[in-house]
Amino acid sequence: MIIIGENIHIISKEVSTAVKERNAKVIQDLAIAQTKAGADYLDLNIGPARKNPEETVEWLVNTVQAVSDLPLSIDTLNPIAMEAGLKASKKRPLLNSASGRTDSKEKTLPLAKKYNTAVVLSVLTDKGCPPDVESRTESILDTVAYANELGIPNEDIWVDPIVLPVSADQTQVTADLEFIKILPDILPDIKSTVGLSNVSNGTPEELRGIINRTYLMMLKRNGLYSAIADPLDAELMALDQGKMPDIIELIHKAMDEEHIVLSSLSKKQRDYVKTAQILLGQTLYSHSWLED
Amino acid sequence: MEYKAAVESYTGKVREVAIGKGPKALKIGGENALPFHFFDEGSIPNPPKFALQVFDSPPEGWAKWVLEPFQDVISDPVKWAKKCLDYGADAICLVLESTDPAGKNAPAEGAAQLVKKVADAVGAPLIVCGSKDDKKDAQVLSKVAEVCKGENLLLGPVVKENYEVIAKAAAENGHAIIAQSPLDINLMKELNIKLSKVFPADRVVIDPLSSALGYGMEYTFTIMERTKQTGVIFKDAQTQMPIIADVAGECWKTKEAKENKEQGILWEGMTAISLLLAGANLVVLRHPETLKLVRETIKQG
Repeated sequence: MIIIGENIHIISKEVSTAVKERNAKVIQDLAIAQTKAGADYLDLNIGPARKNPEETVEWLVNTVQAVSDLPLSIDTLNPIAMEAGLKASKKRPLLNSASGRTDSKEKTLPLAKKYNTAVVLSVLTDKGCPPDVESRTESILDTVAYANELGIPNEDIWVDPIVLPVSADQTQVTADLEFIKILPDILPDIKSTVGLSNVSNGTPEELRGIINRTYLMMLKRNGLYSAIADPLDAELMALDQGKMPDIIELIHKAMDEEHIVLSSLSKKQRDYVKTAQILLGQTLYSHSWLED
Repeated sequence: MEYKAAVESYTGKVREVAIGKGPKALKIGGENALPFHFFDEGSIPNPPKFALQVFDSPPEGWAKWVLEPFQDVISDPVKWAKKCLDYGADAICLVLESTDPAGKNAPAEGAAQLVKKVADAVGAPLIVCGSKDDKKDAQVLSKVAEVCKGENLLLGPVVKENYEVIAKAAAENGHAIIAQSPLDINLMKELNIKLSKVFPADRVVIDPLSSALGYGMEYTFTIMERTKQTGVIFKDAQTQMPIIADVAGECWKTKEAKENKEQGILWEGMTAISLLLAGANLVVLRHPETLKLVRETIKQG
């Protein structure tokens, strides 16, 4: 699985202060740590970048490139910041992201062609996030067709089904699992990615990790190509590298609705099975699902 | 070909909760079928039950057609409660409004003595509601639990901020409790999981918060419906508690209910019937004519 390291993110207070004060050390430490942890890309999330977008992005890109050889994922909705970031990237970057929204199709998506980059293309449209598998499919077929017409081939498109928090709506979480599964049938050679950590948004902080990890293993089984995730989560990286086969097998069993005798499992195995059952919508979510 | 209606059978069962003592004690829940699904397999041993409200002090701001049936008793909770039983209520919901710290801030001890007095005098199942101030309710309801030991009251609302204190007092003194969550099924389950560690699950009644017709009732409806389905169809032990719908206060504060009597009774009645269909096992009403209307309607249906 291609892991796009998520830790340089403007929502983080540490990062936003460092960007504002041009404190290279903080950013570079995060870049080095994620690189060492095995990330394949580094995501640079700069938010809307309303003030000096070009200068800010250039500084950030150069700061990171000074300490890491990894390719970058330029993560902003601001097309001016996006272009500056793509321009400054030494390695072929990932444009993160464009969507089926009119402004995005007109202003952002053409940049992928202009700078010959790969592009994250989400299922969002002017109407918002499509609510189920069928409408996500319909939306992405339209947007990919549009991208193809601009000259962007399927293999450069990383489809993002938009992951929503399990604490808010379990049905959306299962819909994405299904969507990722059928994606290769509807769009051959297409790639995929998710903003993984959003699945645990709203869940108590200390419990977010197991949701992220379990969901990643489920998506991976259904063919997910990459994820924007936390490479500093050592257990996540270990799972992705197949180092915990018992856990992976249990998650697969839960997906196949096989009967699992919870009392025969270790606490950790049990926690993963319970989490998988939550993500599959087999049991109703609550913040105390592990104690249920 | 002859038409044959599909018959569902269910694997989950709602817990049965008993309230009160003696011959008038009542049971709610216990069904292993969806509400009013008499055509499916399974049984609904306890039909919906109804409580009428009694306030511990004369209520303010009520429309005259709500005060009318109780005009002569509003200053005497014991007489008021007896009148409710005459009107056919299965239980009394005694609201300890005067304990509200934002209002009269009456002390817990006096409130507890009043509950005891009413319990002794009427001998009917009692639901005891605090002022919905979570800190004050922890004091008041714990005190009530202690003073009324063995009365098997239904105490509430118990919320995530105060469940430990009230659950402990209720468990030690033999009462049931109402677990209330803010219109959110996930938070409801969360509270039930936490409660189940300190309190027996078969002594808990769920209150997902009721809203009135036209004022968000559909949110309540959906949550009650999902709660029932999750418990009865998917066997989720943490949603298999009976449900209380306290519609009285929300209905009678609507503009429509204050405009005229008939409209008010219909407003309270339609809200109650809707939530019964969604899965409520126990409904708290204010107007005796609503009680009559709802009873007749579900009998006909």
